[in-house]
Amino acid sequence: MTPMSAGTPKSVSIVRMSFMFRVQHALLMVTLLVLALTGFALMYHENWLGRNLIRLEGGVLYRGFLHRAAASLLMGQLIFHAFYMLFTRGGKKEFGEFLLVRQDFADFLQAIRYNLGTAAEYPRFGKYGYKEKFQYWGATLGIFLISVTGIILWAETFSMRFLPKVVLDITLIVHGYQGLLAFVILLFWHMYNEHLHPSVFPMNAAWLTGRVDAEWLRQEHPLEYEKMKREGVL
Amino acid sequence: MKGTVLTAGLVVALLGMCAPGLPQPASARISLEKCTLCHGKQEFRKILVDGKIRELFVTADSLKGSVHEKKTCVDCHFDISEIPHRERPRRVNCTHCHYKGNAEGAPQSDGYLAYFESVHGKAIARGNAKAPLCQDCHGSHFILKVKSDASLVAQGNVAETCGHCHIQIYAQYKTSVHGVAAAKGIKEAPSCTGCHGEHKIYSPKDPKSTVYATHVAEQCSKCHGSVSIMSKFGIETEKVETYRESFHGVASQFGSRTVANCASCHGTHEIRPEADPLSSVNPKNVAKTCGKCHPGANANVAVGKMHVDAKKKEAGIVYYVASFFKYLTIGTMLALIIHILLDMYGRTKRLRGEK
Repeated sequence: MTPMSAGTPKSVSIVRMSFMFRVQHALLMVTLLVLALTGFALMYHENWLGRNLIRLEGGVLYRGFLHRAAASLLMGQLIFHAFYMLFTRGGKKEFGEFLLVRQDFADFLQAIRYNLGTAAEYPRFGKYGYKEKFQYWGATLGIFLISVTGIILWAETFSMRFLPKVVLDITLIVHGYQGLLAFVILLFWHMYNEHLHPSVFPMNAAWLTGRVDAEWLRQEHPLEYEKMKREGVL
Repeated sequence: MKGTVLTAGLVVALLGMCAPGLPQPASARISLEKCTLCHGKQEFRKILVDGKIRELFVTADSLKGSVHEKKTCVDCHFDISEIPHRERPRRVNCTHCHYKGNAEGAPQSDGYLAYFESVHGKAIARGNAKAPLCQDCHGSHFILKVKSDASLVAQGNVAETCGHCHIQIYAQYKTSVHGVAAAKGIKEAPSCTGCHGEHKIYSPKDPKSTVYATHVAEQCSKCHGSVSIMSKFGIETEKVETYRESFHGVASQFGSRTVANCASCHGTHEIRPEADPLSSVNPKNVAKTCGKCHPGANANVAVGKMHVDAKKKEAGIVYYVASFFKYLTIGTMLALIIHILLDMYGRTKRLRGEK
Protein backbone atom coordinates (compact mmCIF):
# COMPACT_ATOMS: atom_id res chain seq x y z
CA MET A 1 0.00 0.00 0.00
CA THR A 2 1.18 3.46 -0.75
CA PRO A 3 0.94 5.92 2.13
CA MET A 4 -2.13 8.05 1.88
CA SER A 5 -0.67 11.41 2.77
CA ALA A 6 2.72 12.72 1.82
CA GLY A 7 3.35 13.88 5.37
CA THR A 8 3.43 10.37 6.85
CA PRO A 9 6.90 9.45 8.07
CA LYS A 10 8.44 6.10 7.10
CA SER A 11 6.14 3.20 7.85
CA VAL A 12 5.71 2.11 11.43
CA SER A 13 5.30 -1.58 12.20
CA ILE A 14 3.54 -3.04 15.18
CA VAL A 15 3.41 -6.51 16.75
CA ARG A 16 0.40 -8.61 15.69
CA MET A 17 1.57 -12.18 16.41
CA SER A 18 3.60 -12.89 19.52
CA PHE A 19 6.41 -15.44 19.47
CA MET A 20 4.25 -18.10 21.13
CA PHE A 21 1.58 -17.68 18.47
CA ARG A 22 4.11 -17.86 15.68
CA VAL A 23 5.50 -21.12 17.08
CA GLN A 24 2.01 -22.61 17.37
CA HIS A 25 1.11 -21.42 13.89
CA ALA A 26 4.26 -22.99 12.38
CA LEU A 27 3.63 -26.27 14.17
CA LEU A 28 0.01 -26.26 13.01
CA MET A 29 1.14 -25.66 9.45
CA VAL A 30 3.57 -28.57 9.49
CA THR A 31 1.19 -31.05 11.13
CA LEU A 32 -1.71 -30.10 8.84
CA LEU A 33 0.51 -30.47 5.78
CA VAL A 34 1.71 -33.92 6.85
CA LEU A 35 -1.84 -34.97 7.71
CA ALA A 36 -3.16 -33.76 4.36
CA LEU A 37 -0.39 -35.45 2.38
CA THR A 38 -0.75 -38.77 4.21
CA GLY A 39 -4.54 -38.60 4.45
CA PHE A 40 -5.33 -37.68 0.87
CA ALA A 41 -2.79 -40.24 -0.33
CA LEU A 42 -5.05 -42.90 1.18
CA MET A 43 -8.31 -41.23 0.20
CA TYR A 44 -7.20 -40.90 -3.42
CA HIS A 45 -5.06 -44.03 -3.60
CA GLU A 46 -6.55 -45.00 -6.94
CA ASN A 47 -4.97 -42.16 -8.91
CA TRP A 48 -1.29 -41.82 -9.70
CA LEU A 49 -0.73 -38.93 -7.31
CA GLY A 50 -2.14 -40.88 -4.40
CA ARG A 51 -0.23 -44.00 -5.39
CA ASN A 52 3.06 -42.13 -5.64
CA LEU A 53 2.43 -40.34 -2.38
CA ILE A 54 1.92 -43.64 -0.61
CA ARG A 55 5.16 -44.95 -2.16
CA LEU A 56 6.91 -41.76 -1.07
CA GLU A 57 5.60 -42.19 2.44
CA GLY A 58 7.06 -45.68 2.61
CA GLY A 59 3.97 -47.75 1.84
CA VAL A 60 0.64 -48.04 3.62
CA LEU A 61 2.21 -49.06 6.90
CA TYR A 62 4.52 -46.03 7.25
CA ARG A 63 1.90 -43.72 5.76
CA GLY A 64 -0.27 -44.74 8.70
CA PHE A 65 2.52 -44.20 11.22
CA LEU A 66 3.22 -40.75 9.80
CA HIS A 67 -0.46 -39.81 9.79
CA ARG A 68 -0.95 -40.89 13.38
CA ALA A 69 2.29 -39.28 14.56
CA ALA A 70 1.25 -35.94 13.02
CA ALA A 71 -2.25 -36.39 14.44
CA SER A 72 -0.85 -36.99 17.92
CA LEU A 73 1.20 -33.83 17.62
CA LEU A 74 -1.84 -31.89 16.44
CA MET A 75 -4.05 -33.16 19.24
CA GLY A 76 -1.32 -32.41 21.75
CA GLN A 77 -1.12 -28.94 20.33
CA LEU A 78 -4.88 -28.48 20.59
CA ILE A 79 -4.75 -29.32 24.28
CA PHE A 80 -1.73 -27.09 24.83
CA HIS A 81 -3.44 -24.28 22.96
CA ALA A 82 -6.56 -24.56 25.10
CA PHE A 83 -4.45 -24.27 28.26
CA TYR A 84 -2.40 -21.46 26.78
CA MET A 85 -5.47 -19.45 25.81
CA LEU A 86 -7.25 -19.96 29.11
CA PHE A 87 -4.46 -19.75 31.67
CA THR A 88 -1.60 -17.57 30.45
CA ARG A 89 -1.38 -13.81 30.38
CA GLY A 90 -0.57 -13.62 26.67
CA GLY A 91 -3.18 -16.22 25.83
CA LYS A 92 -6.00 -14.76 27.88
CA LYS A 93 -5.56 -11.38 26.18
CA GLU A 94 -5.82 -12.90 22.72
CA PHE A 95 -8.69 -15.16 23.75
CA GLY A 96 -10.72 -12.08 24.64
CA GLU A 97 -10.04 -10.68 21.18
CA PHE A 98 -11.10 -13.95 19.56
CA LEU A 99 -14.41 -14.39 21.39
CA LEU A 100 -17.30 -14.46 18.95
CA VAL A 101 -19.83 -11.72 19.65
CA ARG A 102 -23.08 -10.79 17.97
CA GLN A 103 -21.29 -7.90 16.29
CA ASP A 104 -19.21 -10.35 14.23
CA PHE A 105 -22.28 -11.82 12.56
CA ALA A 106 -23.67 -8.34 12.04
CA ASP A 107 -20.32 -7.35 10.49
CA PHE A 108 -20.40 -10.37 8.24
CA LEU A 109 -23.86 -9.52 6.96
CA GLN A 110 -23.01 -5.87 6.62
CA ALA A 111 -19.88 -6.73 4.64
CA ILE A 112 -21.97 -8.80 2.26
CA ARG A 113 -24.56 -6.07 1.97
CA TYR A 114 -21.83 -3.50 1.32
CA ASN A 115 -20.25 -5.72 -1.31
CA LEU A 116 -23.63 -6.16 -2.96
CA GLY A 117 -24.17 -2.41 -2.85
CA THR A 118 -27.06 -2.29 -0.35
CA ALA A 119 -25.09 -0.90 2.60
CA ALA A 120 -23.27 2.41 2.59
CA GLU A 121 -20.48 1.53 5.02
CA TYR A 122 -18.02 -1.36 5.14
CA PRO A 123 -17.82 -2.74 8.70
CA ARG A 124 -14.94 -1.52 10.82
CA PHE A 125 -13.03 -4.37 12.49
CA GLY A 126 -11.11 -4.64 15.72
CA LYS A 127 -7.94 -6.69 16.02
CA TYR A 128 -9.76 -9.65 14.54
CA GLY A 129 -12.64 -9.24 12.11
CA TYR A 130 -15.19 -11.88 11.19
CA LYS A 131 -12.75 -13.37 8.67
CA GLU A 132 -10.14 -14.14 11.33
CA LYS A 133 -12.64 -15.23 13.96
CA PHE A 134 -14.54 -17.60 11.69
CA GLN A 135 -11.24 -19.09 10.57
CA TYR A 136 -10.02 -19.52 14.13
CA TRP A 137 -13.16 -21.10 15.53
CA GLY A 138 -13.74 -23.18 12.41
CA ALA A 139 -10.24 -24.59 12.63
CA THR A 140 -10.47 -25.26 16.37
CA LEU A 141 -13.84 -26.97 16.13
CA GLY A 142 -12.77 -28.81 12.97
CA ILE A 143 -9.58 -30.13 14.56
CA PHE A 144 -11.55 -31.27 17.58
CA LEU A 145 -14.18 -33.09 15.48
CA ILE A 146 -11.71 -34.70 13.10
CA SER A 147 -9.75 -35.88 16.14
CA VAL A 148 -12.84 -37.63 17.46
CA THR A 149 -13.44 -39.59 14.26
CA GLY A 150 -9.70 -40.15 13.90
CA ILE A 151 -9.39 -41.67 17.35
CA ILE A 152 -12.38 -43.96 16.69
CA LEU A 153 -10.67 -45.24 13.56
CA TRP A 154 -7.25 -45.46 15.15
CA ALA A 155 -8.53 -47.59 18.03
CA GLU A 156 -10.49 -49.77 15.63
CA THR A 157 -10.20 -52.92 17.72
CA PHE A 158 -11.56 -51.04 20.71
CA SER A 159 -14.24 -49.17 18.73
CA MET A 160 -15.49 -52.41 17.17
CA ARG A 161 -16.68 -53.58 20.57
CA PHE A 162 -18.94 -50.60 21.12
CA LEU A 163 -19.88 -49.38 17.68
CA PRO A 164 -21.75 -51.27 14.98
CA LYS A 165 -19.96 -51.71 11.67
CA VAL A 166 -22.25 -49.23 9.95
CA VAL A 167 -21.17 -46.49 12.39
CA LEU A 168 -17.52 -47.24 11.69
CA ASP A 169 -18.20 -47.04 7.95
CA ILE A 170 -19.81 -43.64 8.46
CA THR A 171 -16.93 -42.55 10.69
CA LEU A 172 -14.48 -43.34 7.92
CA ILE A 173 -16.50 -41.38 5.38
CA VAL A 174 -16.94 -38.44 7.73
CA HIS A 175 -13.25 -38.37 8.66
CA GLY A 176 -12.26 -38.19 5.00
CA TYR A 177 -14.75 -35.44 4.22
CA GLN A 178 -13.78 -33.48 7.33
CA GLY A 179 -10.25 -33.47 6.00
CA LEU A 180 -11.41 -32.42 2.56
CA LEU A 181 -13.57 -29.65 4.00
CA ALA A 182 -10.68 -28.35 6.10
CA PHE A 183 -8.51 -28.37 3.01
CA VAL A 184 -11.10 -26.52 0.93
CA ILE A 185 -11.56 -23.90 3.63
CA LEU A 186 -7.82 -23.40 4.01
CA LEU A 187 -7.51 -23.07 0.27
CA PHE A 188 -10.34 -20.61 -0.31
CA TRP A 189 -10.48 -18.71 2.95
CA HIS A 190 -7.05 -18.63 4.51
CA MET A 191 -5.24 -18.51 1.15
CA TYR A 192 -7.38 -15.59 0.08
CA ASN A 193 -7.22 -13.64 3.31
CA GLU A 194 -3.52 -14.08 3.95
CA HIS A 195 -2.06 -14.43 0.46
CA LEU A 196 -4.28 -13.30 -2.37
CA HIS A 197 -5.98 -10.37 -0.70
CA PRO A 198 -4.55 -7.26 -2.42
CA SER A 199 -3.61 -5.68 0.89
CA VAL A 200 -1.25 -8.51 1.80
CA PHE A 201 -0.34 -10.02 -1.60
CA PRO A 202 1.76 -12.13 -1.96
CA MET A 203 1.76 -12.93 1.75
CA ASN A 204 1.03 -11.44 5.12
CA ALA A 205 4.46 -11.88 6.70
CA ALA A 206 3.19 -11.58 10.26
CA TRP A 207 3.45 -15.37 10.74
CA LEU A 208 7.24 -15.02 10.33
CA THR A 209 8.08 -11.52 11.58
CA GLY A 210 5.14 -11.13 13.91
CA ARG A 211 4.74 -7.55 12.72
CA VAL A 212 2.40 -5.68 10.41
CA ASP A 213 2.46 -2.21 8.97
CA ALA A 214 0.52 0.40 10.95
CA GLU A 215 -0.97 1.73 7.75
CA TRP A 216 -2.27 -1.73 6.89
CA LEU A 217 -3.83 -1.94 10.32
CA ARG A 218 -5.52 1.44 9.85
CA GLN A 219 -7.13 0.25 6.64
CA GLU A 220 -8.07 -3.31 7.52
CA HIS A 221 -8.58 -3.14 11.29
CA PRO A 222 -9.44 0.52 11.99
CA LEU A 223 -10.90 -0.07 15.46
CA GLU A 224 -7.68 -1.73 16.62
CA TYR A 225 -5.67 1.09 15.06
CA GLU A 226 -7.70 3.72 16.86
CA LYS A 227 -7.47 1.80 20.13
CA MET A 228 -3.68 1.69 19.80
CA LYS A 229 -3.59 5.39 19.05
CA ARG A 230 -5.70 6.08 22.17
CA GLU A 231 -3.47 3.89 24.29
CA GLY A 232 -0.43 5.67 22.91
CA VAL A 233 1.16 2.52 21.50
CA LEU A 234 1.43 4.22 18.17
CA MET B 1 40.75 -78.23 -29.92
CA LYS B 2 41.64 -80.36 -26.98
CA GLY B 3 38.40 -79.28 -25.33
CA THR B 4 36.29 -80.39 -28.26
CA VAL B 5 37.87 -83.84 -28.27
CA LEU B 6 37.30 -84.14 -24.57
CA THR B 7 33.66 -83.09 -24.89
CA ALA B 8 33.08 -85.52 -27.74
CA GLY B 9 34.64 -88.30 -25.68
CA LEU B 10 32.46 -87.42 -22.76
CA VAL B 11 29.33 -87.45 -24.89
CA VAL B 12 30.20 -90.91 -26.25
CA ALA B 13 30.88 -92.21 -22.77
CA LEU B 14 27.60 -90.80 -21.49
CA LEU B 15 25.71 -92.28 -24.41
CA GLY B 16 27.22 -95.66 -23.60
CA MET B 17 26.13 -95.38 -20.00
CA CYS B 18 22.64 -94.35 -20.99
CA ALA B 19 22.31 -96.93 -23.72
CA PRO B 20 19.96 -99.25 -21.80
CA GLY B 21 17.74 -96.28 -21.24
CA LEU B 22 17.38 -95.33 -24.86
CA PRO B 23 14.47 -96.66 -26.89
CA GLN B 24 15.67 -99.84 -28.50
CA PRO B 25 14.72 -101.29 -31.85
CA ALA B 26 11.51 -103.33 -31.71
CA SER B 27 13.27 -106.62 -32.28
CA ALA B 28 15.37 -106.21 -29.18
CA ARG B 29 12.42 -105.32 -26.99
CA ILE B 30 10.67 -107.52 -24.57
CA SER B 31 7.28 -108.18 -26.05
CA LEU B 32 3.99 -107.40 -24.35
CA GLU B 33 3.13 -111.08 -24.14
CA LYS B 34 6.13 -111.77 -21.95
CA CYS B 35 5.08 -109.15 -19.43
CA THR B 36 1.52 -110.34 -19.25
CA LEU B 37 2.73 -113.83 -18.43
CA CYS B 38 2.87 -112.61 -14.88
CA HIS B 39 1.12 -109.23 -14.92
CA GLY B 40 -1.85 -110.58 -16.85
CA LYS B 41 -2.96 -112.64 -13.88
CA GLN B 42 -5.74 -110.91 -12.02
CA GLU B 43 -4.47 -111.88 -8.59
CA PHE B 44 -0.95 -110.63 -9.33
CA ARG B 45 -0.27 -108.25 -6.48
CA LYS B 46 2.25 -107.49 -3.83
CA ILE B 47 1.66 -106.98 -0.15
CA LEU B 48 3.87 -104.16 1.03
CA VAL B 49 5.64 -103.89 4.37
CA ASP B 50 2.99 -101.50 5.68
CA GLY B 51 0.22 -103.93 4.80
CA LYS B 52 -0.93 -102.03 1.73
CA ILE B 53 -1.61 -104.01 -1.38
CA ARG B 54 -0.05 -102.97 -4.66
CA GLU B 55 -2.09 -104.25 -7.58
CA LEU B 56 0.21 -105.38 -10.36
CA PHE B 57 -2.45 -106.61 -12.76
CA VAL B 58 -1.84 -105.16 -16.22
CA THR B 59 -3.13 -106.52 -19.50
CA ALA B 60 -2.82 -105.67 -23.13
CA ASP B 61 -6.04 -103.69 -22.74
CA SER B 62 -4.60 -101.43 -20.08
CA LEU B 63 -3.36 -98.88 -22.61
CA LYS B 64 -6.27 -99.28 -24.98
CA GLY B 65 -8.04 -96.01 -25.63
CA SER B 66 -5.33 -94.02 -23.89
CA VAL B 67 -2.98 -91.60 -25.58
CA HIS B 68 -0.26 -94.24 -25.29
CA GLU B 69 -2.29 -96.92 -27.06
CA LYS B 70 0.51 -97.78 -29.43
CA LYS B 71 3.22 -98.02 -26.82
CA THR B 72 4.39 -101.19 -25.15
CA CYS B 73 5.46 -101.74 -21.56
CA VAL B 74 9.17 -101.15 -22.05
CA ASP B 75 8.66 -97.90 -23.93
CA CYS B 76 8.11 -96.37 -20.53
CA HIS B 77 9.53 -99.05 -18.22
CA PHE B 78 12.74 -99.02 -20.19
CA ASP B 79 14.85 -100.04 -17.23
CA ILE B 80 13.46 -103.60 -17.54
CA SER B 81 15.96 -105.59 -19.53
CA GLU B 82 15.33 -109.12 -18.29
CA ILE B 83 12.29 -111.13 -17.35
CA PRO B 84 11.41 -111.73 -14.63
CA HIS B 85 12.90 -108.50 -13.39
CA ARG B 86 14.51 -108.80 -9.99
CA GLU B 87 14.30 -105.20 -8.98
CA ARG B 88 11.22 -103.09 -8.69
CA PRO B 89 11.21 -100.96 -11.86
CA ARG B 90 12.05 -97.33 -11.33
CA ARG B 91 9.27 -94.75 -11.47
CA VAL B 92 8.53 -93.87 -15.05
CA ASN B 93 10.22 -90.73 -16.27
CA CYS B 94 7.86 -89.00 -18.72
CA THR B 95 10.44 -86.47 -19.87
CA HIS B 96 12.17 -89.38 -21.55
CA CYS B 97 9.83 -88.69 -24.49
CA HIS B 98 8.07 -85.50 -23.53
CA TYR B 99 10.74 -82.89 -24.13
CA LYS B 100 10.72 -80.11 -26.67
CA GLY B 101 11.76 -81.30 -30.12
CA ASN B 102 11.51 -84.99 -29.32
CA ALA B 103 11.68 -87.42 -32.24
CA GLU B 104 8.65 -89.40 -31.07
CA GLY B 105 6.34 -86.47 -31.73
CA ALA B 106 5.13 -86.63 -28.13
CA PRO B 107 3.15 -83.49 -27.32
CA GLN B 108 5.14 -81.07 -25.24
CA SER B 109 4.51 -77.79 -23.54
CA ASP B 110 6.63 -75.94 -21.02
CA GLY B 111 4.48 -77.51 -18.35
CA TYR B 112 7.16 -79.87 -17.14
CA LEU B 113 9.72 -77.08 -16.77
CA ALA B 114 7.26 -75.18 -14.58
CA TYR B 115 6.67 -78.40 -12.65
CA PHE B 116 10.33 -78.63 -11.59
CA GLU B 117 10.03 -75.16 -10.05
CA SER B 118 6.75 -75.99 -8.33
CA VAL B 119 6.26 -77.11 -4.75
CA HIS B 120 5.81 -80.69 -6.02
CA GLY B 121 8.86 -80.67 -8.27
CA LYS B 122 10.99 -79.24 -5.48
CA ALA B 123 9.75 -81.85 -3.04
CA ILE B 124 10.76 -84.56 -5.49
CA ALA B 125 14.16 -82.92 -5.89
CA ARG B 126 14.57 -82.95 -2.11
CA GLY B 127 13.97 -86.69 -2.20
CA ASN B 128 10.38 -86.83 -0.96
CA ALA B 129 9.20 -90.11 -2.44
CA LYS B 130 5.56 -89.23 -1.77
CA ALA B 131 5.61 -86.06 -3.86
CA PRO B 132 3.76 -86.42 -7.15
CA LEU B 133 5.36 -86.99 -10.50
CA CYS B 134 3.53 -86.54 -13.80
CA GLN B 135 1.84 -89.93 -13.56
CA ASP B 136 0.46 -89.28 -10.09
CA CYS B 137 -1.87 -86.66 -11.50
CA HIS B 138 -2.18 -87.58 -15.16
CA GLY B 139 -2.56 -91.31 -14.49
CA SER B 140 -0.21 -94.13 -15.31
CA HIS B 141 -1.58 -96.56 -17.82
CA PHE B 142 -4.85 -94.98 -18.79
CA ILE B 143 -3.76 -91.46 -19.66
CA LEU B 144 -6.25 -89.38 -21.61
CA LYS B 145 -5.92 -86.02 -23.24
CA VAL B 146 -6.37 -83.20 -20.73
CA LYS B 147 -9.31 -81.90 -22.74
CA SER B 148 -11.14 -85.20 -22.43
CA ASP B 149 -13.79 -85.12 -19.70
CA ALA B 150 -12.67 -88.52 -18.42
CA SER B 151 -9.08 -87.40 -17.89
CA LEU B 152 -7.88 -87.48 -14.31
CA VAL B 153 -6.90 -83.86 -14.63
CA ALA B 154 -10.11 -82.76 -16.36
CA GLN B 155 -12.02 -79.98 -14.62
CA GLY B 156 -14.51 -82.41 -13.12
CA ASN B 157 -11.92 -84.90 -11.87
CA VAL B 158 -8.89 -82.95 -10.81
CA ALA B 159 -10.13 -82.27 -7.30
CA GLU B 160 -10.45 -85.98 -6.64
CA THR B 161 -7.02 -86.54 -8.18
CA CYS B 162 -5.42 -83.96 -5.90
CA GLY B 163 -7.50 -85.40 -3.08
CA HIS B 164 -5.59 -88.67 -3.28
CA CYS B 165 -2.89 -86.95 -1.29
CA HIS B 166 -4.67 -83.83 0.02
CA ILE B 167 -7.50 -85.76 1.63
CA GLN B 168 -8.61 -83.26 4.27
CA ILE B 169 -8.62 -80.36 1.86
CA TYR B 170 -10.55 -82.41 -0.64
CA ALA B 171 -13.22 -83.15 1.98
CA GLN B 172 -13.52 -79.42 2.77
CA TYR B 173 -13.64 -78.48 -0.88
CA LYS B 174 -16.27 -81.13 -1.68
CA THR B 175 -18.84 -79.44 0.57
CA SER B 176 -17.83 -75.88 -0.31
CA VAL B 177 -19.81 -73.70 -2.69
CA HIS B 178 -17.22 -74.31 -5.38
CA GLY B 179 -17.06 -78.06 -4.83
CA VAL B 180 -20.82 -78.45 -4.86
CA ALA B 181 -21.10 -76.40 -8.04
CA ALA B 182 -18.31 -78.35 -9.72
CA ALA B 183 -20.02 -81.62 -8.78
CA LYS B 184 -23.15 -80.35 -10.49
CA GLY B 185 -21.08 -80.09 -13.66
CA ILE B 186 -20.83 -76.31 -13.67
CA LYS B 187 -17.74 -75.67 -15.79
CA GLU B 188 -17.06 -72.22 -14.34
CA ALA B 189 -16.73 -73.50 -10.78
CA PRO B 190 -13.07 -73.65 -9.82
CA SER B 191 -11.47 -76.90 -8.81
CA CYS B 192 -7.98 -76.99 -7.26
CA THR B 193 -6.20 -75.91 -10.43
CA GLY B 194 -8.59 -73.01 -10.95
CA CYS B 195 -6.97 -71.16 -8.06
CA HIS B 196 -3.62 -72.88 -7.56
CA GLY B 197 -2.63 -73.28 -11.19
CA GLU B 198 -1.63 -76.50 -12.87
CA HIS B 199 2.07 -77.19 -13.14
CA LYS B 200 3.12 -73.95 -11.48
CA ILE B 201 1.73 -74.79 -8.06
CA TYR B 202 3.62 -73.09 -5.26
CA SER B 203 3.20 -73.07 -1.53
CA PRO B 204 0.76 -70.31 -0.46
CA LYS B 205 3.68 -68.83 1.51
CA ASP B 206 5.73 -68.47 -1.67
CA PRO B 207 5.38 -64.98 -3.21
CA LYS B 208 5.22 -66.65 -6.62
CA SER B 209 2.03 -68.46 -5.66
CA THR B 210 -1.27 -67.39 -7.18
CA VAL B 211 -2.75 -67.74 -3.70
CA TYR B 212 -0.02 -65.80 -1.86
CA ALA B 213 -1.63 -63.30 0.53
CA THR B 214 -1.22 -60.30 -1.77
CA HIS B 215 -2.36 -62.26 -4.84
CA VAL B 216 -5.54 -63.77 -3.44
CA ALA B 217 -7.83 -60.85 -4.31
CA GLU B 218 -6.51 -60.78 -7.84
CA GLN B 219 -6.95 -64.52 -8.23
CA CYS B 220 -10.53 -64.53 -6.91
CA SER B 221 -11.42 -61.52 -9.04
CA LYS B 222 -10.47 -63.38 -12.20
CA CYS B 223 -13.92 -64.94 -11.93
CA HIS B 224 -15.66 -62.80 -9.32
CA GLY B 225 -14.78 -59.60 -11.14
CA SER B 226 -16.07 -60.88 -14.46
CA VAL B 227 -19.64 -59.87 -15.23
CA SER B 228 -19.96 -62.48 -17.97
CA ILE B 229 -19.21 -65.30 -15.54
CA MET B 230 -20.92 -64.00 -12.42
CA SER B 231 -24.15 -62.94 -14.11
CA LYS B 232 -24.85 -66.61 -14.87
CA PHE B 233 -25.08 -67.32 -11.17
CA GLY B 234 -26.59 -64.07 -9.94
CA ILE B 235 -23.46 -63.09 -8.02
CA GLU B 236 -22.49 -59.40 -7.78
CA THR B 237 -19.13 -58.45 -9.26
CA GLU B 238 -18.91 -55.25 -7.26
CA LYS B 239 -17.67 -57.17 -4.23
CA VAL B 240 -14.27 -57.03 -5.87
CA GLU B 241 -14.47 -53.27 -6.26
CA THR B 242 -15.75 -52.63 -2.75
CA TYR B 243 -12.96 -54.77 -1.32
CA ARG B 244 -10.38 -52.89 -3.36
CA GLU B 245 -11.73 -49.58 -2.00
CA SER B 246 -11.78 -50.75 1.61
CA PHE B 247 -9.01 -50.33 4.15
CA HIS B 248 -8.15 -54.00 3.72
CA GLY B 249 -8.08 -53.78 -0.05
CA VAL B 250 -5.93 -50.69 -0.20
CA ALA B 251 -3.41 -52.11 2.28
CA SER B 252 -3.29 -55.36 0.30
CA GLN B 253 -2.73 -53.54 -2.99
CA PHE B 254 0.19 -51.70 -1.46
CA GLY B 255 1.84 -54.88 -0.28
CA SER B 256 0.59 -55.58 3.25
CA ARG B 257 0.70 -59.33 3.88
CA THR B 258 -1.09 -59.27 7.19
CA VAL B 259 -4.23 -57.45 6.11
CA ALA B 260 -7.38 -59.41 5.32
CA ASN B 261 -7.83 -60.67 1.77
CA CYS B 262 -10.87 -62.52 0.39
CA ALA B 263 -9.76 -65.81 1.91
CA SER B 264 -9.18 -64.37 5.38
CA CYS B 265 -12.91 -63.89 5.85
CA HIS B 266 -14.51 -66.27 3.34
CA GLY B 267 -12.15 -69.15 3.91
CA THR B 268 -10.11 -71.01 1.36
CA HIS B 269 -11.22 -74.53 0.58
CA GLU B 270 -14.30 -74.37 2.78
CA ILE B 271 -15.92 -71.29 1.21
CA ARG B 272 -19.68 -71.40 1.65
CA PRO B 273 -22.48 -69.02 0.72
CA GLU B 274 -23.32 -66.35 3.28
CA ALA B 275 -26.72 -67.89 4.03
CA ASP B 276 -25.11 -71.21 5.04
CA PRO B 277 -24.94 -71.42 8.85
CA LEU B 278 -21.50 -73.03 8.50
CA SER B 279 -20.18 -70.14 6.44
CA SER B 280 -17.51 -68.00 8.07
CA VAL B 281 -19.33 -64.92 6.75
CA ASN B 282 -22.76 -65.96 8.01
CA PRO B 283 -24.01 -63.11 10.24
CA LYS B 284 -23.86 -65.49 13.20
CA ASN B 285 -20.21 -66.28 12.58
CA VAL B 286 -18.73 -62.95 11.51
CA ALA B 287 -17.86 -61.93 15.06
CA LYS B 288 -15.59 -64.97 15.29
CA THR B 289 -14.22 -64.42 11.79
CA CYS B 290 -13.38 -60.76 12.38
CA GLY B 291 -12.06 -61.74 15.80
CA LYS B 292 -9.21 -63.65 14.17
CA CYS B 293 -7.52 -60.30 13.56
CA HIS B 294 -9.54 -57.88 15.70
CA PRO B 295 -9.65 -59.33 19.20
CA GLY B 296 -12.84 -58.50 21.01
CA ALA B 297 -14.96 -58.23 17.86
CA ASN B 298 -18.54 -58.98 18.81
CA ALA B 299 -22.01 -59.02 17.28
CA ASN B 300 -21.57 -55.32 16.40
CA VAL B 301 -19.58 -56.25 13.30
CA ALA B 302 -22.67 -57.89 11.85
CA VAL B 303 -24.64 -54.65 12.11
CA GLY B 304 -24.31 -53.07 8.69
CA LYS B 305 -23.22 -54.20 5.27
CA MET B 306 -19.82 -55.79 4.79
CA HIS B 307 -18.93 -54.77 1.26
CA VAL B 308 -20.11 -51.16 1.35
CA ASP B 309 -19.96 -48.81 -1.59
CA ALA B 310 -20.74 -45.35 -0.28
CA LYS B 311 -21.44 -44.23 -3.83
CA LYS B 312 -24.41 -46.59 -4.18
CA LYS B 313 -27.87 -46.19 -2.70
CA GLU B 314 -27.80 -49.80 -1.46
CA ALA B 315 -25.29 -48.68 1.18
CA GLY B 316 -28.21 -46.99 3.00
CA ILE B 317 -27.25 -44.45 5.62
CA VAL B 318 -23.58 -44.58 4.61
CA TYR B 319 -24.62 -43.41 1.14
CA TYR B 320 -26.73 -40.57 2.49
CA VAL B 321 -24.00 -39.37 4.86
CA ALA B 322 -21.45 -39.47 2.04
CA SER B 323 -23.82 -37.61 -0.29
CA PHE B 324 -24.52 -34.99 2.37
CA PHE B 325 -20.82 -34.35 2.83
CA LYS B 326 -20.22 -34.32 -0.88
CA TYR B 327 -22.74 -31.54 -1.43
CA LEU B 328 -21.62 -29.77 1.73
CA THR B 329 -18.07 -29.68 0.40
CA ILE B 330 -19.13 -28.49 -3.03
CA GLY B 331 -21.47 -25.93 -1.46
CA THR B 332 -18.75 -24.65 0.88
CA MET B 333 -16.34 -24.33 -2.00
CA LEU B 334 -18.85 -22.35 -4.06
CA ALA B 335 -19.77 -20.13 -1.13
CA LEU B 336 -16.11 -19.37 -0.46
CA ILE B 337 -15.41 -18.55 -4.09
CA ILE B 338 -18.43 -16.26 -4.23
CA HIS B 339 -17.24 -14.64 -1.01
CA ILE B 340 -13.79 -14.01 -2.52
CA LEU B 341 -15.22 -12.44 -5.66
CA LEU B 342 -17.68 -10.28 -3.72
CA ASP B 343 -15.02 -9.19 -1.26
CA MET B 344 -12.63 -8.17 -4.02
CA TYR B 345 -15.38 -6.25 -5.79
CA GLY B 346 -16.40 -4.49 -2.59
CA ARG B 347 -12.81 -3.64 -1.70
CA THR B 348 -12.16 -2.03 -5.07
CA LYS B 349 -15.27 0.05 -4.56
CA ARG B 350 -14.17 1.01 -1.06
CA LEU B 351 -10.69 2.10 -2.14
CA ARG B 352 -12.15 4.17 -4.97
CA GLY B 353 -14.40 5.91 -2.46
CA GLU B 354 -11.48 6.64 -0.11
CA LYS B 355 -9.43 8.41 -2.77
